[in-house]
Amino acid sequence: MKNDEPGSDLLRGKLVRLSAVSPEDLSKLIVGWIQNSEYWRLIANGPSFPLSQEGLRKFMEKHLEKDDLRSCFFVIRTLDGDRDIGEIELGGISYARGESYVGIGIGEPEYQGRGYGTDAMNIILHFAFTELNLYRVSLTVFEYNPRAVRAYEKCGFKVEGRAREFFQREGRRWDLIHMGILREEWQAQNA
Amino acid sequence: MRDRSELTSDMLRGKNIHLTAQDMEQASQPYFDWAQDAEYQRLVEDGPPVPLSLKGARESNEQGWPEDDPCNVMFLVRANEDDRIIGFVNLDYISWQHGDSYMGIGIGDKSCWGKGYGREAMDLLLRYTFTELNLHRLSLTVYEYNERAIRMYEKCGFKNEGVSRDYHYREGRRWNLVSMGILRDEWLEMNGYSVP
Repeated sequence: MKNDEPGSDLLRGKLVRLSAVSPEDLSKLIVGWIQNSEYWRLIANGPSFPLSQEGLRKFMEKHLEKDDLRSCFFVIRTLDGDRDIGEIELGGISYARGESYVGIGIGEPEYQGRGYGTDAMNIILHFAFTELNLYRVSLTVFEYNPRAVRAYEKCGFKVEGRAREFFQREGRRWDLIHMGILREEWQAQNA
Repeated sequence: MRDRSELTSDMLRGKNIHLTAQDMEQASQPYFDWAQDAEYQRLVEDGPPVPLSLKGARESNEQGWPEDDPCNVMFLVRANEDDRIIGFVNLDYISWQHGDSYMGIGIGDKSCWGKGYGREAMDLLLRYTFTELNLHRLSLTVYEYNERAIRMYEKCGFKNEGVSRDYHYREGRRWNLVSMGILRDEWLEMNGYSVP
């Protein structure tokens, strides 16, 4: 990723670009994605159940209403074919602390495991560290999602801890894994 | 045999008491007082005793009692000697699905620091969490520079589960955020309960 000139498109990667969220369009997509409870159970720890598009759209409109940049929410769109395949968000941004959480999901199954998510994550880390000038980005991931852990490690995140037996699914308890990346680490990896 | 006097006297008035319509203006204060008494609550309610605010007591007439499975519970910590409020302890982000919650504690009255009051409040909250709410796990986060709190949490049985490196920026340097957790079985065992 060498779009490191201020004049280049910060939000464009090799496979995808991050684009603005339309609550109407994205709520329709997400309602489709979560019909597959696998997707839900990889990204959320609330009980998996189908949401109404109307409810989700209203929730998103409210969520996006505030213009204080405490959250940056994007749709992940393929460069090839302009297809919306997922969602990514920097949330809970603290400018005083220089820190934020990131959440990501690739909802279209045929784009999973093919580097699209990693590309989107690289774009948002670039955005977080060189545009918002944050110092650190955090995330949490479920123990049963090793594919995501590997992808995050590839982007430079380090495992920082495990909340043991944090939640219960399919009859057993699972850890919640905490990961984080510092600006210096990201810069060293992307020099 | 019914007689006329039964129809012309007040059915809801006895020798020592009588029954009236709800009046939350008047009733909220005693409701509030009773709700602070866990003995009373555990004798009359099947839900866990949840502290009811005065405002909540006032509104409970229209809206019913606090929801059965609240996602947060706030307690004031009061000194026994004069009942004054010295701090708070709370559960937040309770997940009933997964049996997990975060907790927080603060003793704001500095004259009470270093006397074990915080520890006492912790022990009460842990017992409440694990034997009344029956949660599986309790989590907390604490700033690296609050060593006194970390020692106290460790004494209560919390284990250090990881640090978010350089999470904070204060006094010109970065500090870690420490994540700690305790499981129900760990707490039961260290407090002399039989663990199934």
